[in-house]
Amino acid sequence: MPFTPVLHSEWLKIRTLRSLVVGLAAVVLVTAAFSAIAGLDASSDESSGEDFDPLFSAFFGVSFGQIAAIAFGAQAVSSEFQGGALRVSLAAVPHRGRWFAAKATAIGVPALAVGLVTGFVSLAVGKAVLGDQASGLSAAEGLRGAVGCGVYLALMALLAAGLTALLRSGVATLSILIPFLLIVSFVVGGVSGGVADFLPDKAGQVVFHETSDGALGPWSGLAVTALWAAAALAAGAWSVRRRDA
Amino acid sequence: MTSIDVQDLTKVYGTTRAVDHLTFHVEPGRVTGFLGPNGAGKSTTLRLVLGLDRPTSGTATIGGRAYATLDEPLRHVGALLDAQAAHGARTARDHLRVLAASNRLPERRADEVLEEAGLASVARRRVRTYSLGMRQRLGIAAALLGDPPVVLLDEPSNGLDPEGIIWIRELLRRLAREGRAVLVSSHLMNETASFADHLVVLGRGRLLADMPMREFIDARVQPRVRVRTTDGAALRELLARHGYDAVEGADERWIVHHARVDDIGRLTSGTGVPILELAAEEGTLEQAYLDLTATEAEFAAQTSKTSNQPQEA
Repeated sequence: MPFTPVLHSEWLKIRTLRSLVVGLAAVVLVTAAFSAIAGLDASSDESSGEDFDPLFSAFFGVSFGQIAAIAFGAQAVSSEFQGGALRVSLAAVPHRGRWFAAKATAIGVPALAVGLVTGFVSLAVGKAVLGDQASGLSAAEGLRGAVGCGVYLALMALLAAGLTALLRSGVATLSILIPFLLIVSFVVGGVSGGVADFLPDKAGQVVFHETSDGALGPWSGLAVTALWAAAALAAGAWSVRRRDA
Repeated sequence: MTSIDVQDLTKVYGTTRAVDHLTFHVEPGRVTGFLGPNGAGKSTTLRLVLGLDRPTSGTATIGGRAYATLDEPLRHVGALLDAQAAHGARTARDHLRVLAASNRLPERRADEVLEEAGLASVARRRVRTYSLGMRQRLGIAAALLGDPPVVLLDEPSNGLDPEGIIWIRELLRRLAREGRAVLVSSHLMNETASFADHLVVLGRGRLLADMPMREFIDARVQPRVRVRTTDGAALRELLARHGYDAVEGADERWIVHHARVDDIGRLTSGTGVPILELAAEEGTLEQAYLDLTATEAEFAAQTSKTSNQPQEA
């Protein structure tokens, strides 16, 4: 069974569910909106000193936009675990490894594309709002942040997709990941350094800072996030292949 | 010609033997009714045949090949397992387009099977707006998508309206006439009797019967004859002399057990006993099935309750 028709089918599944398309649009809107708010806050704050990071300000919204990306990845997989849908899918494509690879591709590629759009929109919005305060931001740094944003959001969507396949539930996945990202990571992030730097979101978000003082640089940070996503996908693939549908 | 071959199939969940050393064949060109009480292992068997669950031991093959090794399986086997499987937010047409794409089936097949299932006018409506009967029709449409030589349907009549019941009956007959192997599980005896040629009956995961439907009924239900006469005493005496046991019913009707109309007609013709009516009471699939499962059913109480009711043919 060739891969292309299976991928076509999985891509059609995503395109034909309005909630998934809306979810992808939400990634762009939420990220840009929160970046704009962060920029407005910073530009009204005249006392912002030497340690002000315009790059991080421009990509501040990613912390919230990633929730939409995770919801997209989780929902695209969890729809298979409702009402016997997985049985219909696997009866059509009994090569489960290939099926799950197609599913992950159909999630990862649009998430990357939307993530890149998000990156450039967020950068443009952030710079516009910051005005003079963004003068220290070089074009190379901006490009790095925008591309990093695309890669980061795609990896977070895949992390959620893999976890959902393992747990067989989108609700379970989101109730683990969202508190983790919003609470655990913020709290642990405060006492930065050491193990906390290697959490999937902390590591990947180094790319949004002008300078990195931790163990990881912008690209090695994304590589760590990629390892987390790959581990989640491998666990999900194992679950799909081994368990009765 | 493709057949389904189930060979010594066993599936154990924890301590439960859902399917227990099951062997049977589903031949092409006829409708095989798949019967058994709840929990007998029918749905599990179908999932094992489709490679969705892994057997503990034994094999299930389609045309000699395991389902998972089929290339573009929708062209070989069409299945309806659960009418709720289509995503509620997708339209019926999109649901079928997704399935068609994975097996490189042309998109017009989606429209063709929707037409065949009587859903053409609602094809672009979201599945969540569908009634159970419409979802069943969509599931059956999905099973027919690849024009497969083997069709497996789990409780296809569920939720169908009377028109739908007639439609599915005629569809199944036609699929068998076209030379396909058709396996249909059901709880509904009268419904199964209207379309099945052959029966496979399960109880507690084991095979209880695998034979033509007519043979199954004749082997289990004693033939009876109904006679109406104005001279009951003479009739009873005549029949008793020839070893028949006649029981009086209402309105001068007598029921003769273990008898055929041919025998009773011949007996009474020369004796002057006035016969107003003479009719065979054919055994029904329901009677035969209940007779078989009375001893085997897991839910014995439920079964005996129905079997105590008068069995009018």
